[in-house]
Amino acid sequence: MVSKHILVIALLAVLLGVFVIALADVRELYNAYGRDYFLANGLAETGSRNLVTGIYLDYRLFDSLFEAGILLIAVSGILWISKHEVKERYAQFMIDRFKTPDLFVTFSVLVYPLMLAFGFYVIVNGHLSPGGGFQGGAIVATAILILYYIDNERETNVAFIVTIEKFIFLTIVLVASLSVFTRGTFFTNFMPLDASISAKAFYLVTLNVLIGLKVALGLWTIFTAFLKEGR
Amino acid sequence: MDPILTFIVILIGFYGLSVSDNIIKSVFMVTIIESGVILLFLNLGNLEGGSIPIYTEGLVDIVDPLPQALMITTIVIGSTVTAMALMLSIKVFHHYGSIDWKTVLNREDLEL
Repeated sequence: MVSKHILVIALLAVLLGVFVIALADVRELYNAYGRDYFLANGLAETGSRNLVTGIYLDYRLFDSLFEAGILLIAVSGILWISKHEVKERYAQFMIDRFKTPDLFVTFSVLVYPLMLAFGFYVIVNGHLSPGGGFQGGAIVATAILILYYIDNERETNVAFIVTIEKFIFLTIVLVASLSVFTRGTFFTNFMPLDASISAKAFYLVTLNVLIGLKVALGLWTIFTAFLKEGR
Repeated sequence: MDPILTFIVILIGFYGLSVSDNIIKSVFMVTIIESGVILLFLNLGNLEGGSIPIYTEGLVDIVDPLPQALMITTIVIGSTVTAMALMLSIKVFHHYGSIDWKTVLNREDLEL
């Protein structure tokens, strides 16, 4: 048993050596052209002061679409796996429901609206300050999950949530494709290239809100699937 | 921070993946490997003394925004993959009554 561990550590040491040799000159390979380009042209081309948002909602929007799609696929997969149709020999559920402490409930009532408001703030200001649709959506989902701790018996219509999520994903793809009419290419800002910065920011806010809602609903669905296992 | 330190985080994940018997621990190790990859990318785009990549007038030095935008994708996909793996391990427990790799693999009634 000990020799197995030594063998694994020796193999990992070899792997570390390979890593170090392969990436020894990575600092020289990296250059700052992209960084300088984004700093010089990012605001004018995308209308986003937050250059990270400018990249994932404009330059690399194609990536973000599939990122949102993967979230949808994972939600469908989790819901499908969590079905209890086949006979499971060892299926057992937690029958005892723990009582949430009163202190937790009291503070949740105070914190819940603040968390929702903060989540929406992060989503809407994604192009001005750190944040964006994915991060704000996670905050909103966390705020919603507090409700399940306060009320253990809370029921959710999961199929309805997933339907809304699918429609939001379709809307994201449609909004992303609108640029074919104004700019002639798919998957970029639908405002013309010479529009003002605030006009371009309209597109960023729209897409951030849609992505934020989609992520919040997706994480909510995943949580309900796990909750069903615990009940 | 040196990139070698991020390799060591990744290798810690590999080590745990190869020696752990518990399925839940294996899922955690995958997330540790993922954290190492995220640290590596953020480290490559880092600039000592650079400011955050939010445009203001007269800004000179920023950290590279491109690795950060890529890592948003990694974090979202990593969370979904973790959720999927945990749900699969729950199902394994319901079918076999154990979340130990060896116990599950050595069962005689392995066919579903």
